[in-house]
Amino acid sequence: MMNTTESLKDDDSGDHDQNEENSTQKDGEKEKMERDKSQSSNKRKAVVPGPAEHPLQYNYTFWYSRRTPGRPTSSQSYEQNIKQIGTFASVEQFWRFYSHMVRPGDLTGHSDFHLFKEGIKPMWEDDANKNGGKWIIRLRKGLASRCWENLILAMLGEQFMVGEEICGAVVSVRFQEDIISIWNKTASDQATTARIRDTLRRVLNLPPNTIMEYKTHTDSIKAWEEFHGLVNSSGR
Amino acid sequence: MSEGGSCSQTPSRAIPATRRVVLGDGVQLPPGDYSSTPGGTLFSTTPGGTRIIYDRKFLMECRNSPVTKTPPKDLPTIPGVTSPVSDEPPTETSQIHLHNSPEDKQAGGEESQFEMDI
Repeated sequence: MMNTTESLKDDDSGDHDQNEENSTQKDGEKEKMERDKSQSSNKRKAVVPGPAEHPLQYNYTFWYSRRTPGRPTSSQSYEQNIKQIGTFASVEQFWRFYSHMVRPGDLTGHSDFHLFKEGIKPMWEDDANKNGGKWIIRLRKGLASRCWENLILAMLGEQFMVGEEICGAVVSVRFQEDIISIWNKTASDQATTARIRDTLRRVLNLPPNTIMEYKTHTDSIKAWEEFHGLVNSSGR
Repeated sequence: MSEGGSCSQTPSRAIPATRRVVLGDGVQLPPGDYSSTPGGTLFSTTPGGTRIIYDRKFLMECRNSPVTKTPPKDLPTIPGVTSPVSDEPPTETSQIHLHNSPEDKQAGGEESQFEMDI
């Protein structure tokens, strides 16, 4: 849970941007996020549940990304294309964001929503993800909004029962189909991945014959590099 | 377990005799003993320790809380994502949200960081 000792009170000026870079950051995660200048400006103080709100086990951050057509894809441009929408600490704060965002089924083009624990970037390279993997579920058009909602509610409500293992969830809107996935820390932990799979089956209400696939991020990186012809080059 | 290599250093000891702990009235039980609380919140003990667990039904009920009706004050303006695409031109005054919150005036200032390439 968030450390609440800091100056948390919303100074209700509401004006958090630009000049907030100096505000005291307390935990390592924050600092890590702050290092990324391009993303840092809306990330300056601890987010905590409001009075009488229902706290979540973890704080989470919504992200949005959209592929830029015609630009070379690279890890860097991925990072540049992904935008933080905001961080919340309570059930009510979650709904404030969610209710003012379009549902994934109404997104256009090649875009994604990501919902990750605060401090974990939705990237393979993040420390929390680098040994991890994800369950992937491909959905025919029309199901993404409902499945995404069920997925993130299960995640926020700690329905997966795998300790600290969950990192976040993604919904990817593509041309022919949509994809939802949930990422965990340790791809090699079969008890965890099996439990996540079973929870997904339980909470998603999937059509029978829906295929679920587990993919390690190492494999994703390899496939990505092969696809981009980078298999022999170091770095990208 | 005790035969496993990694545990072989542990000297074996007799199982301690049962100890009786008497709890007087009003003694607080550890959090592991919480169960359902009014409103449906569940605190329970899981492999990761005590965790805050909510079921879908309870989370959906929270959606009706009045506080959720106003957008977060720092919600960035992303046309087609946090604001309607066609509603207004996505320039400075695009105050997407319902104008029932005093924070709305901030939205314009946040915009530049979230401009998306198409």
